[in-house]
Amino acid sequence: MRLLALALRRFLWMPPTLLGLTLIVFSVSHVIPSDPARVLAGENASIEQVETLRRKFGLDQPLPVQFVRYVSDVVGGNMGISLYTQRPVATDLIERLPATFELALFAIALAIMLGLPLGVVSALMRNSWLDQIVRLVTIGGLAMAAFWLAILLQLLFSMQWNLTPVQGRIDGWGPDPITGFYTVDALIRGDLDTFLTALRYLFLPMMTLAIPAMATIVRFTRAGVLNVMNSPFVFYQAAMGLPRRVVIWKYILRAALIGTLTQIGLVFGNLLAGAVVVETVFSWPGLGTYAYNSILQSDYNAIMGFTLFTGSVFIGMNLLVDIAQAVLDPRGR
Amino acid sequence: MLRRRPFLAAAGAALIAGRARAQSPRRIVTAINSPYDTLDPHTVFDIGRIATRLNMYDCLVRWVDNPPKLVLWLAEKVDISPDGLIYTFKLRANAKFHDGAPITADDVVFSMERILEMKKGGYSLFKGAIDPGKTKALDAGTVQFTLNAPFAVFLSVLAELWIVNSTLVRANDKSADFGAAWMARNTAGSGSFRLSRYDPAVGFQANRFVDHFMGWGPNPLDQIEYRTILETSGRVLGMLKGDFQSTDGYLPLDQIKQLRDGPNIRIDEAESIRTMYFILHNSRAPLNDINMRKALSYCFDYDAFNIQILGGSVARNAGIIPNTLWGAPADLKGYTYDIAKAKQHLALVKAPLRPLTIGILAGFGQSEQAAVLLQAGAAKAGIEIKLVSEPWSVIQGKYNDPDKTHDIIPLWRSAYFADPHNWTGVIYNSRNIGAGNASHYRNPRFDELTDKALLLTDQEARRPLYEEASRILVDDAAGIYVYNTKWFGPFTRTVKGVRFCPIGDAQDMRWMSIG
Repeated sequence: MRLLALALRRFLWMPPTLLGLTLIVFSVSHVIPSDPARVLAGENASIEQVETLRRKFGLDQPLPVQFVRYVSDVVGGNMGISLYTQRPVATDLIERLPATFELALFAIALAIMLGLPLGVVSALMRNSWLDQIVRLVTIGGLAMAAFWLAILLQLLFSMQWNLTPVQGRIDGWGPDPITGFYTVDALIRGDLDTFLTALRYLFLPMMTLAIPAMATIVRFTRAGVLNVMNSPFVFYQAAMGLPRRVVIWKYILRAALIGTLTQIGLVFGNLLAGAVVVETVFSWPGLGTYAYNSILQSDYNAIMGFTLFTGSVFIGMNLLVDIAQAVLDPRGR
Repeated sequence: MLRRRPFLAAAGAALIAGRARAQSPRRIVTAINSPYDTLDPHTVFDIGRIATRLNMYDCLVRWVDNPPKLVLWLAEKVDISPDGLIYTFKLRANAKFHDGAPITADDVVFSMERILEMKKGGYSLFKGAIDPGKTKALDAGTVQFTLNAPFAVFLSVLAELWIVNSTLVRANDKSADFGAAWMARNTAGSGSFRLSRYDPAVGFQANRFVDHFMGWGPNPLDQIEYRTILETSGRVLGMLKGDFQSTDGYLPLDQIKQLRDGPNIRIDEAESIRTMYFILHNSRAPLNDINMRKALSYCFDYDAFNIQILGGSVARNAGIIPNTLWGAPADLKGYTYDIAKAKQHLALVKAPLRPLTIGILAGFGQSEQAAVLLQAGAAKAGIEIKLVSEPWSVIQGKYNDPDKTHDIIPLWRSAYFADPHNWTGVIYNSRNIGAGNASHYRNPRFDELTDKALLLTDQEARRPLYEEASRILVDDAAGIYVYNTKWFGPFTRTVKGVRFCPIGDAQDMRWMSIG
């Protein structure tokens, strides 16, 4: 019951948080001295041409009016029309969502699979040569700029070793979508060739996103394990004569992973935001490239739509993390 | 259930097959940095996305080759009335749309009315020259345009009147929007290639339209594909790896060198008609003083920029009209880098000096290099310049507003149509202040020349007018004129028949073949 109340309380915070986010993004994007009507009309367009577009998209209205209208439209499920694609922003986002989600899910899965064990081992073997190497790698993973890492991986894996494609999501045009996740769709169809091709295309962008995510997970896991290892209850369990294996897996990890779990939620949100750079470098046709183009074109509705969407995912992930944390740690209920 | 060994064997085979998958022998994949976010030819007017228009639509006339020649295309004959007001076109009898319907005069009328009504894309080319209702179908094969006044470049700009299938567009006009929503995602043209796949996030693919009225030469392409690759490095690496057979021809010099060294790649070179210049704010003090503008013109080290920084990959262009185009005075003497002369002119400036700002196009390295060079030269002469880096959308959003725009903006003037009017009247006639004249420049004599040139249809009669107009701009130091671009088109060696035309940057794929 307490868990339900917690979830409800957190859920009720979502609308005001999203409203705040909308207000901030709306203000920031509209105070930039850019004129989307002019950009859309072109550099040689007449004033009349620009004004026609301004009226058509409601950009001639005062900012508060535009904001109120935008919020009421969003509440009604309408995120507006993209100035550039001339289509509903929601449609654009939904079309590109599977590409980004597939990439982010593979990246987070890889980051967790590598990050958790490395973090635990690093903590258990503190100050050993293995620990030093892991720490070096994680610091490097966090310090490297995504675009630089991406180009480095392209040069190495694609150009030097000829193992992966340079960019893109699939050879030619993707299969007709079932879920929109190429790997899943290929498996549903039993098409192993397409599945492996999709994996080859996924590899480099996934690595680019996964390496810094993994570094974060390693560091938090390591710190969490070290912290718990020095707790009195761990000494007590060890003094009770429990095997080290049981103490580690049953007591230390459960307590240590609470902090890591929170980070994984945040890291997943960051992956969506980080996809803007990675998708651009790898020409990955997802939300990131959509956001990149929208920013370049001052496409207000598209920028707002992308931000609202990623913000919602971020807040949703936080909600899930809070609930999961409460399940794992009764003190939080 | 998959057993491990057969699964791995199949996986290995699939991986090898994936890597070894050969390109179709008559297919070219081109990587471009522009997102093809719409296919509607009447809503966009840029060079970046011209591939959709050039390859899937036709016009009455078309630009080909370099220097660009305007040739009859959908039209087989044109009559111009002696007063230059009435243009009558006879359409080719064998021209068909992709759905097999014949192209009629009604389609031309509909296309013109659609542009004038929607007020987007190439509308600015026709605005004021012809009013709605002034395009008439005399019969199924004859169309007539009646202009408001003689407009010398009318034929030239008709290369941007893309003819759409009126029946098809009307059938898909769901909300009285001239079929705009449908046209953004579909095509209704007659061009050399017919759309087969389109994804705004990826690009487009089109198959050869076998029944195209121009017919086909030996070994034509069966399929073309354009891919949006935003990052320069991605386009270059893709070319080197063989994923693409062609990419854009205005890559940075170091990337061109890298491609030139690549296996199986050749670089086609041509002098284009795309001039690089600095917009100067001619109506804001102290730049409204001719001596201030002249001082700045002497502060830019043209040779250092063109020869050392750009490695001679461009040609010095002393005026705004490209050297290779008629109307550019052959004997035009531009400015040189001369700090002593800059100081002389600076001493004559009456208004108090203030720090000037250069609006740099963020992400355009050359824009920043040019700005830094001018800043350094100006500093030697005693002029303080600040650099502000902003995205193109921000620069463009401000530059027609005399109060908000920067003092100086390094920019390129691309070839929208191959007529000196594109480089003079459009961007310097005072009538276009707020609509293309971002220099906020006014000179009655210049206006008179460029207005008069629009009333004449004889190129030889127009030539001296533009030559004088070009000289006036240099005498007034209305801008700082730097270079004319060279085009370096990267292609794999198997690509044949490239016909570069500056209007379209060799993206008219019907001429190409693979062999």
